[in-house]
Order: sequence, then C-alpha cells, then structure tokens
Amino acid sequence: MSSHPYGDHVALVLDACPEASEADVVAAFRQYEDEFLIPPQDSIHSIIRTLQVNASPSSGAPAGRASAGKAPRPMKSVERFDQLSGDDQNVEITVRIVSHNVRDQTVRGEQRTIAFGLLEDLPYDSASPSTRWEYKDWAPKQELRSGSIVRLEGASVNEYQGRRSLNVNQSTRVVVLEEGSAPVVAPGEPVSIADLPEAGTVCVVARVLAVRPDVIHRRDGSGTIDVVRGRLADGTGSVGFLSWDPVELEVGQLVKVDGATVRSFRDTPELNFGRTTTIEAYHDASFASVGELEAASELSIAGLRDGARDVTCVVEVHEWQKRTFTREGQERHLWSGRVADPSGQCRMSAWSELPFTADDLPVAVRLSGVRVRAWQGVPDITVDEAKQVEVLKATPWDATIDLENHAVEVDLDELANGSGRVGVATEGYVVSVRDDSGLIYRCGECRRVLRDGSCTDHGAQAGNEDVRLRLVVQGDAESLSVFVGKDAALAALGLDMDRLRAVIEDTGAGAWVQSLRSRWLGGRVRISGRLLVDDRSSMFMADGFESIEEDGSLIATEARAAWGVA
Amino acid sequence: MMEASRNIKRQPAWHIFASEFGEATLNERGSGEYDPSFVITRLGAKINRVIVAGLLERVEPRESANGQVMHMGQLRDPSGLFYFSAGDFDPESAREAIVDLTRSLEEGETMHVMMVAKARWYQTDEGAVYTSLRPEEVVRIDPPRYAAWLARTAAATLERLDAHEKAMPSAAEGPAAMRQAGVPAPMAEGLAHALAHYEGASVEHYKLHVLQALDIAEGKMASVRTEPAALPLTGDEPSGGAEDAAGTSGEADAGAAMTALIQTLDQGSGVDYETLVKNMGAKGFDAGVADTALDGLLDEGSVFEVSFGWYRLVE
Repeated sequence: MSSHPYGDHVALVLDACPEASEADVVAAFRQYEDEFLIPPQDSIHSIIRTLQVNASPSSGAPAGRASAGKAPRPMKSVERFDQLSGDDQNVEITVRIVSHNVRDQTVRGEQRTIAFGLLEDLPYDSASPSTRWEYKDWAPKQELRSGSIVRLEGASVNEYQGRRSLNVNQSTRVVVLEEGSAPVVAPGEPVSIADLPEAGTVCVVARVLAVRPDVIHRRDGSGTIDVVRGRLADGTGSVGFLSWDPVELEVGQLVKVDGATVRSFRDTPELNFGRTTTIEAYHDASFASVGELEAASELSIAGLRDGARDVTCVVEVHEWQKRTFTREGQERHLWSGRVADPSGQCRMSAWSELPFTADDLPVAVRLSGVRVRAWQGVPDITVDEAKQVEVLKATPWDATIDLENHAVEVDLDELANGSGRVGVATEGYVVSVRDDSGLIYRCGECRRVLRDGSCTDHGAQAGNEDVRLRLVVQGDAESLSVFVGKDAALAALGLDMDRLRAVIEDTGAGAWVQSLRSRWLGGRVRISGRLLVDDRSSMFMADGFESIEEDGSLIATEARAAWGVA
Repeated sequence: MMEASRNIKRQPAWHIFASEFGEATLNERGSGEYDPSFVITRLGAKINRVIVAGLLERVEPRESANGQVMHMGQLRDPSGLFYFSAGDFDPESAREAIVDLTRSLEEGETMHVMMVAKARWYQTDEGAVYTSLRPEEVVRIDPPRYAAWLARTAAATLERLDAHEKAMPSAAEGPAAMRQAGVPAPMAEGLAHALAHYEGASVEHYKLHVLQALDIAEGKMASVRTEPAALPLTGDEPSGGAEDAAGTSGEADAGAAMTALIQTLDQGSGVDYETLVKNMGAKGFDAGVADTALDGLLDEGSVFEVSFGWYRLVE
C-alpha cells in the first residue's frame, strides 16, 4: 500500500465493497484526484456508490444541518405593533421614526425635557402596510431622529383608554440601523455641497458661478413665472439653484444661503430658494475663487447626469451634421453629432451654429453652461448658444480619440448603478443564458421582435431574420441584462448565418441554448457596447462579446496575496 | 435615485461553498407574494441565488404525493454537500439538463456540475432547519472551470470572513456602526442579522475549506488529502467512540458497527438508510439485523432521523 497515498481510503472502500480489486480502487482514487480535482476523502462516497452497482430506488431526501430554533430571549421580540399587548414591559422592535419633537413638560413637579412623535413598524418591508404608533421618549435619547430606522430594546407598552403607545425609557437601548435620510441640520449650520441630502432644508456657504433670469411656463398654460437660475460651488462640488423670488446675485459673490430646500430634478439635486430662504453676503478670504471652482466643477462625460444644467466640460467633437426642419411654419436648424473624452462618449446637439464646421473635425471644445438631457437613458449634451462653446487649440489629453475603438473600461457594478452610457466595455460572469437566445424575427416596420409571427402594432408578417443572445452578466453584486447583437454573436460562435441556422435546426432550439450555457455559464466574459437605461429597466446592447479564459491556479494565487493567506 | 426606479433588480448569484450554505439556519422573507426570500449565512451573506459547482454524487427521481416528479440530488465540493431538487415548477431546461446528467451518472461517468440556483430554506415541525437549492440553469463543466470556480469562491469567502471579523466588535450597534468599522455596505445588513442569530458560532472551519479549495485550484492535491475517520474493518471490532460491546451479543455488535458507520459516513447532513444497510451488509450483517440495530439506536435515543430515511448520531 506504500506505492499510493490512499491507504486507509482504499481499505475503507474494500471493506464496503469486498468484491472490488485494490488496483481498481487505487486507480479510481487517482483518476478522481488527477482528472477531477477531487481529494480521496471526497471521492470515496462516489467510488463506493459506483462499486455498489445495484442501484435500487432509494430515499434521497434533501437535508441540511439540523439545529434547534432560536434560543428564547428574555426580551419579547416582535416585528409588528399588533403582536404587542397592553402590558408588555420588555419589548424589542425595529421601527422607523416618522417624527420626533422635543418639549418641556412638568413631571411630578419637576421640569423635564421629553420627546414624542410617531413610529412605524416593519421599516424594511415595503410590501406590507406599516402600523403607526405614538411614542414618548422619557430619556430623551440623542439617537432618536426623524427618518432613521432604529431597534428599540427594552421599550414598554403604554395603554391608556384603549390606545396603545410605546414608551422609551432611560434603560431602553437604541440601536441605530439606518441614519435618517432627512438629517436634522441645525439651522444656520452650513453643509458642504458634496454632503447635500437628497431632500430637506439646508444651509450652504458657496460662491455664485452662474446666474441668469429664466421663465417657467405653467403646465396648464395659465401663464409664466419669473425665476432666477444659476449655480453655486464650494470646495467640494457645485449645485444648480432655482429661486422663485427675485434675488440680487452676481457671479463671483460669496454667499451664505440658509433655509434652501433640496429637490432632485431627474438625477440631479438642485437647491430651491423661496420666501423662507435668507441669502446674505459672506466673508472668507481663503474661500476658493471662481476660477478654481469652475475648474474643479468641470465634468467628464462619464459624470454627466440627466437634468444637469450649467455644465462645464471639455470634449472632442467627432461628427457634426446640420439638419433643417420646419416647425410652426418656420425653418429651423439643428446641429448634432458625436463627442468623446477619455471617460466616454455621447451625443451633442446645438440650436445655433457653433464656431466650427464638419471640416474642422475632430475639434476640441470647452463647453460652459450647457444642459444635459437623456435619451434612452444615455445623457446628451444640449448647447443653446454659440457663446457657450470655445474652440481649443488642442485637447487636454494626449492623443485624438479613436471613436470606433473607443470603449471605456468601466467596472460592472459601477455601470449597473449609473446612467446610460455609450462606448463602454466591462467584464463579469455569465449567470444566465436565457432560453430566448437564438434566431428571432423582427417587424419590417418597427424592428420589434415578432411574437408568434406577429407584431403588436403592425400585425402578422414573415419578418426579418436576426440573431440575438440574451445573457445576464454579473459583477460583484450587480448584474446587467445583456443583448448580444447579430455580428458579435456570430463572431463569438464562429459561425455564419447559414451555419448557425443549420446548427439550430440540427440540435433543436432548446438543446442549442443549453450548449451555449455549457460554454459560458459561470465563465468570465468581456462585453462592449452601450447601456440603455429607462424608468423600468436597463439593457446592455453588446456589439462586442468575448469569452475570457480563466486560470484557477492564478486566481487562487491572487486571492492568497489579496487576503494574506499562506 | 436611479436605484429606486429600477424596481425589479435581479438578485445576485453568490459564490459560496457547501459548508457555509448548509449551516445557515436563518432566513428572511418579505410578506408580499413576490418578495424575494433570503437565507442568511454565518458570514452574513444574504442569499437569494447562488452559483455553485461540485462533483455530481447522485440524482434520483422521486414521486411526490401529488404525482409530481422531483429530481433530487447532491453536489460535493471540498467543504461538503449541496442538496438540490428540481420539480415541475422549475425551469424546463434545468430539469432536462438534470435528466441528461442522471443518465450519464447511471452509466458511471464522473462529472462536475455547475448550477445557478435559488436558495431554499425550510424548517421542520421539530425546529430543524434545512437549506437546499432549486436549480435555474445547470451545466456540466470541465475541471479547469471547476478550478476557477473554487478559486473565485475561496476569494469571495475570504472577503466575507474579513467583513465578519471587522463587524464582530460592533455587532450590537447595528449596520451603521459596522460600516464605520470598514464593513462593505452591502454586507452590513446581513452581518447584523447573522451576528445576532448565530451568536458566537464558529466560522474557523470555513478558513480551512478556503485553504483546501485554493490548494485544489493550484493543483496541490497532496496537501488536501485527509485521513478517513477510523472505521472498524470487521463487525466485531467496534471503534472507540461506539458503545462498549465487550460481552457481545450479535445485536450489540450490530449496534456498535452502525454507530461507527453513521459517524464515519455522516458529512453533516446524515446518512441515508440504503447506504447504511449496504455497508452493514459488507460487514456481514444482513438487512434485517441492520434494521433492528437502527431501530434499537433510535429507541435508545443515540441516533435520530433528521428527515425521512436519513440518520445522524445524537451529539
């Protein structure tokens, strides 16, 4: 038995299967180890099973580890208020603080500060209706703030004339699970622009980068409102503002704005000034200058967000076309084309003639005060006036961008959490090959995929044959729904259209998709193309798709290095 | 902001070893009909979906009371077993793939299988908790892809071990404090639940499984081999852990041999009846004696039936 390292394992197998030969058993262990990477302690079960040939039907109940349920706690732990009774004294429950007010009250002749408000149960369960209870905080606890989610340990129920409420006592423990999204900002205490909450009332100290009068047309056509728009910046970033009242502001002025409301327009936060907002001059000699702030607030294409205004960025224009159309009897012109910077590419349109023509391309320009609108989830730059564009002698980056091969590498999780992008490439693991991959037929008019030989809008027809693969590709935690187009699919499969048709015909559509799974499921791939995002979903339209060979031994070595395991 | 509008976010497939998944006893389920349900592991992975791989050890069709055929089976990775079952409600392509694999397995082929599957969790009336998998997509893979899966899963487990360690000191203070302590945001919520539920349960053996997986991925098979637990080679030599059988009636021998067998063959989820009877047969005890011995052990309470036809020692 010394010629092989499986001594005891072999003995065990022979013990269970006396009719087997030792040489066969050793060979089996060796094969498992060499070919299938299965050590003997793991392969022994399979080897015994294989040798015990007569496979009679047996019980194969799935089983996991048995365990007793949760140990009972001395505390009564509940999820919903209706699980509580009027005399519960030691309660644990997770709640959202709906409101939190502080008042002074005389308790048994003693002046005390207490807090009260509303609580909501089931804060993490958006599907079931939450119940609201009143609470009183006798401590009062610093941790309780409106909007936050907390776990109360050791609260008690108070029942008075059939109404129940919750008491938070000195001895109650408060565990903050989530800080409120509307933090209580002390009035007059400025926050930096980068830290602006998504909603709420704030105070900022910032310099005016841009200001201009604007007019808002009422939706119902009943008139217009004069407003002031502009942009404020501090060392951490910049933000647009909209004032509903006339304000006297100048570019370059440093101001303290108190009582502004944060609203988000599309994906972009904006400060709103109203009647209760106070704006006063502020003095700070060390505050960054307009020039510094403008340079700092310059965006890259990857940083563009739908709805952003007063955007400054430098791009290289690669395509520029003039279109003429008639609207309301008037001839109008629209220029549009493709622009790029090292972070990505997008479309740009202009409503007036810009200081360059198609003959000058590629041309580098600095854009200031432009708007961003999204089309199919991909942000587009809109230029309203020629003076927003300054032609540069050269790009700030090294070489001219090759637009055809300009795919910017983006992390998949980042891509999945962001807005639409064009000209991007990413890597991830295939976690699904959808059954509807393969040959499809598209409507001759709207290109939509036919269902049962019929288009929802244009009726039954033969349609145009196309190829499409549908995959789900995952990064660390996020995933993308990926549509691989015809050319990329055929290239990845190494087939032309006729061969593909023949292969699918031959194997059957289902088995063919299963063969794709065998090839790619769990494997790493690189995709390039564009990401489209709308309200309901996002789709990655891949015009490039390739499988990446992985070396387990290399990944293992990297993992050891990354996590410091010998 | 963007997040909220994408209301149907796909649940990620976690890379996870069988031991971490199999030892999970905590679940979380929204009350809405279409809310996803999760299994939360000791390391705080909040799992709805997994991507797992291993040696396909068995698959058997079982007919349930309502005539539905469930294909039940198990996959072995270096840390233990995954149990899966696919029935009429699971994707047809997955069931077809499993039927194909069953055929190959019956023909004696050895194969690695990878699957993307939904995590399932259930609790018996006695309070025992089991996890299992419902396959969505199933493929046979070659050893290099298995090695890559092992290495990736080892890396993912190391990342979770690291987050778990960082989260421990702030266990009682909740996710916000954990993020402060350097726990990645996506892990904080699961860890807060896990640390409260598993209170001090060991995770040391996961490190061992990671090291084994890394060794295998690097082809260092020799360092992965472990010796089998001592098993009596004949029926009348009960091992140390078994009941003292000196004095020896045949029945006591059978009981001791059965105890030893369960101890040796149990990979954490019990040993099935058929395997026990066969192995007892190999030791010279016929099926009747084996059955009586098992009944005796059940009666005296040293063995319990974890689920129908599966047995474990009472520890």
